[in-house]
Amino acid sequence: MDLPGPIHDFLLVFLGSGLLLGGLGVVLLTNPIYSAFSLGLVLVCISLFYILSNSHFVAAAQLLIYVGAINVLIIFAVMFMNGSEYYKYKDFNLWTVGNGVTSLVCTSILVSLITAILDTSWYGIIWTTKSNQIIEQDLISNSQQIGIHLATDFFLPFEFISIILLVALIGAIAVARQ
Amino acid sequence: MMLEHVLVLSAYLFSIGIYGLITSRNMVRALMCLELILNAVNINFVTFSDFFDSRQLKGNIFSIFLIALAAAEAAIGSAIVSSIYRNRKSTRINQSTLLNK
Repeated sequence: MDLPGPIHDFLLVFLGSGLLLGGLGVVLLTNPIYSAFSLGLVLVCISLFYILSNSHFVAAAQLLIYVGAINVLIIFAVMFMNGSEYYKYKDFNLWTVGNGVTSLVCTSILVSLITAILDTSWYGIIWTTKSNQIIEQDLISNSQQIGIHLATDFFLPFEFISIILLVALIGAIAVARQ
Repeated sequence: MMLEHVLVLSAYLFSIGIYGLITSRNMVRALMCLELILNAVNINFVTFSDFFDSRQLKGNIFSIFLIALAAAEAAIGSAIVSSIYRNRKSTRINQSTLLNK
């Protein structure tokens, strides 16, 4: 989306801080219902990120499917199964040796990823790919192009994903039934 | 929008998802951390599609497929967790030893 510069930067900083705090809250909060709500905050922030990067259809799909379906399903699962157990095992959120080793490993993964990202010269790649890119019609919108690609190039994966969704829903009902 | 900032944010989400996936003792929280990892992958798809391939939109289509797969995974995962909870009355990961009998 083409916003003026300060509004864009303010939105970026706001969404980034929401992502950072929400991601920490998913992992570190002790009550699982709070971490489920913080996961919802993270998903909404990611959807606003998609709007900022010009892909409105994916933003709408993210908001509908993740926040509307998956997060509600997870909150339902937490409310369904986590009644007295959280109070019974009060001590299982202590800081153990395994947590320390895992946090060390994950921090090293994060640092190596950040150095790899900052070392790569992305703008050289942009200039080499922009030159030999096929220019499609400029007049049709973003979601129209996604629809055209889904109906022509990606027709077989589209059908496969529908079959996978059907099989997954039938399997979930068959597993969860008494 | 700077490309590196978004990539650093998605790397942060990925690493914190892996941390939570390894250290969580509750199965539902492990499912939430799986969603975090899938969302980090999705952010990468969408930003690379926006920067490098702005007319063809193949990254957007792949991210839609990933969202559908994540929906299937969440449904199957919560069904499995609920059936384990029905048998064991607990959703702790280290108590699900049903194959041990």
